[in-house]
Amino acid sequence: MSEKGEVDLTGAKQNTGVWLVKVPKYLSQQWAKASGRGEVGKLRIGKNQGKAEVEFTLNEDLTMIDSLGNKPSGVQAPRDHPFTMQTVGGQTLAVFTETQSESSKERISLEGLVVQRAECRPAVSENYMKLKRLQIEELSKPVRLSQQLEKAVTTNYKPVANHSYNLEYDRKKKEEGKRARVDKQQVLDMLFSAFEKHQYYNIKDLVDITKQPVSYLKEILRDIGIYNVKGTHKNTWELKPEYRHYQGGEEEEKETDD
Amino acid sequence: MASLGGSSSSSTEYIVRVPKNTSKKYSIMAFNSGDKVNCSSWTQARMERDMSNRRMYGVEETEEGAAGSEFGKKQREEARRKKFGIVTREFKVEDQPWILKVNGKAGKRFKGTKKGGITENASYYIFTQCPDGAFEAFPVNGWYNFVPQAKHRTLTAEEAEEEWGRRNKVVNHFSIMLQRRLREQERGPDDDDEEGEKGGKKKKKKGGRGGDLRIHDLEDDLELSSDESDSSGGEDGDSKPKKKEGDVKGKGKGKKKKKKKRGSDSEANEDSDDGDFEGLEVDYMSDESSSEEEVGEEKAKSNKEAVPKGIDEASESEEESEEEKQNEEEGKEEEEEEEGKKTPVQMKKKKDSSGESDTSEDSDIDGEAASALFMVKRTPPKRGGGRGSGGSSRTGSRPGTPSIDSTSTSNTLRAAASKLEQGKRQVVGGSSDSPAAKRLKMESSSTAVTTQSPAPSGKSTPQPPSGKSTPSSSDVQLTEEAVRRYLIRKPMTTKDLLKKFQTKRTGLSSEQTVNVLAQILKRLNPERKNVNDKMHFYLTE
Repeated sequence: MSEKGEVDLTGAKQNTGVWLVKVPKYLSQQWAKASGRGEVGKLRIGKNQGKAEVEFTLNEDLTMIDSLGNKPSGVQAPRDHPFTMQTVGGQTLAVFTETQSESSKERISLEGLVVQRAECRPAVSENYMKLKRLQIEELSKPVRLSQQLEKAVTTNYKPVANHSYNLEYDRKKKEEGKRARVDKQQVLDMLFSAFEKHQYYNIKDLVDITKQPVSYLKEILRDIGIYNVKGTHKNTWELKPEYRHYQGGEEEEKETDD
Repeated sequence: MASLGGSSSSSTEYIVRVPKNTSKKYSIMAFNSGDKVNCSSWTQARMERDMSNRRMYGVEETEEGAAGSEFGKKQREEARRKKFGIVTREFKVEDQPWILKVNGKAGKRFKGTKKGGITENASYYIFTQCPDGAFEAFPVNGWYNFVPQAKHRTLTAEEAEEEWGRRNKVVNHFSIMLQRRLREQERGPDDDDEEGEKGGKKKKKKGGRGGDLRIHDLEDDLELSSDESDSSGGEDGDSKPKKKEGDVKGKGKGKKKKKKKRGSDSEANEDSDDGDFEGLEVDYMSDESSSEEEVGEEKAKSNKEAVPKGIDEASESEEESEEEKQNEEEGKEEEEEEEGKKTPVQMKKKKDSSGESDTSEDSDIDGEAASALFMVKRTPPKRGGGRGSGGSSRTGSRPGTPSIDSTSTSNTLRAAASKLEQGKRQVVGGSSDSPAAKRLKMESSSTAVTTQSPAPSGKSTPQPPSGKSTPSSSDVQLTEEAVRRYLIRKPMTTKDLLKKFQTKRTGLSSEQTVNVLAQILKRLNPERKNVNDKMHFYLTE
């Protein structure tokens, strides 16, 4: 994809100016509840005696605050929010977007530059105070709570004659039976194919793979393999060098003399 | 959009929309004000996530496949980590930094790191104005601070620490990076041939630079010297290295020091502590006689080898005017240094004779063998001339103040030099007498000349007598006849003339050469003409 990574610079070239506005959390939550085209309110920009005044008024239908658990609380969000305008300063703030379409083509494009920074503040009102109180109440609730119980909990750890898991295990074992020795050649085949996949094996894993009794398996292993006591692969079995052929993961099978 | 008219204020209302279904994720790209980034000047840009941290989070795969792998290793590793409670943080692609490349390969590079915590307490929205006049607000997903990435070479952490330790001594900061570049250059082309050099360089780099002169084992030095002599031809880079090799060849310790010094020589280091040399002095005193022989050999060798390099040296030494290029200055300093370093004694002598009136040095020097003094002979005049303050160092010279200092300290220099020689004369045998005598003579003559106006040659200021000149076999004598021959053949500048009478060969210090040449020119009174803005002399016979 030669497209990937290429930044679309149309916004920068056109010098599109945008505003960066810091909005309080509750307001952004209310905005998330907007329906339809997403209208959330009105922005009034005025010039009052030479100074620009910007004020945002929240739509009426979005003023219902939901407390925790999505229950409507009695609190209403304040409607008027004057903006505090600030300059960008020397900093260059650019806005870029990442678009992830279904075709999994991620496009990055530069939307524009920030020309004005603003802070959206709520106009101090009775509503706002109530809202704040609600927030504080919710935040002051402790995350962990100690509760006293009236009765002791008796639903866990009941004594059982035999656990269900254990029963299953015993059944499985009986079904499998003791491990029977098969032909040495067969075991060798199994071992060689196993060692083709990995170089080092634990004895337990080999027993699992070959389903042979441990002592029998050890005899065979002593023949064709070596036991690593030290080093990184401790307590593992690996094939003797003459049986190994690990270039590219291939392995030649050598015939053993019985 | 409704317009409301007020008495003293006029305002317009706009509808604000927060689009819901946009697939675009908005982020802020913040640049520092100091970087003066102008987005409209970008012709093209590429931006990708910087995935270099992935391996930190991902499990290091040791060996996939048959060889070297264990059965069930992955599961076992995971179980082990769970048991010990090691929690590895996930590698989230969205949190990785951005790499922004502007204007292609030759343009700027930026790295944008995500700023955390911007969505914790308040949300940022981008308000854009739509064609229909309404505002649309988009929430900001992430804030990335973009910083430009340096394309120029920077010091690594170890090198930076070293340099920090020497920050009070080093005056010439440009040379720090220059030396590093030279080192890398040399490390590149020379691989097998110049292990010795590399070793020397490494040593230099590791410990030598900070310590200027360190006492190294003689074996190392000798090894090094042999290696260097073998590989002398192999070096590319500068004439400097070649020159150095030639100069120091045969001198075990000196060579190592030279190599080492090359790096630090170029910086202007103050005189290092006397204490550095005390041990060295002892060595030399015990080997006094052998060092003398060494000197003789080296002299011969160096002279021979100096032939090809002599030109470089000469060219460097001749240009002693203030407009000397950085490199040459460095080269000179280095030369001086190496020379000086060849033996601590040498250096000390040089120092004294050429120029610092460090009385502390005198006491040390007096105690040393006089023969050591004569080992300094190589290009000492040059040194004295060019560096003036060069004496400074065994470790380095202050490039900034060569000529100026010399004039002021000439008296004390002379005093120090004569004192030195007296001391030497007492200790040394006959061989030293004549050189000492000659030196004195030359000194007196040169000082006499010094008091006159500066030489009409390109030299801008009078140079102090170096007092180090040793009677090497001179192939070219600076006589009127020789100058006449040259000037008849073709017009030459004073610089060219000086080149012809290399200080090494004539056995005169650069200062003396200048003075003698000035006298000769006065006598000859050649014609002048200006070629390429340079004053050339010529004679017609």
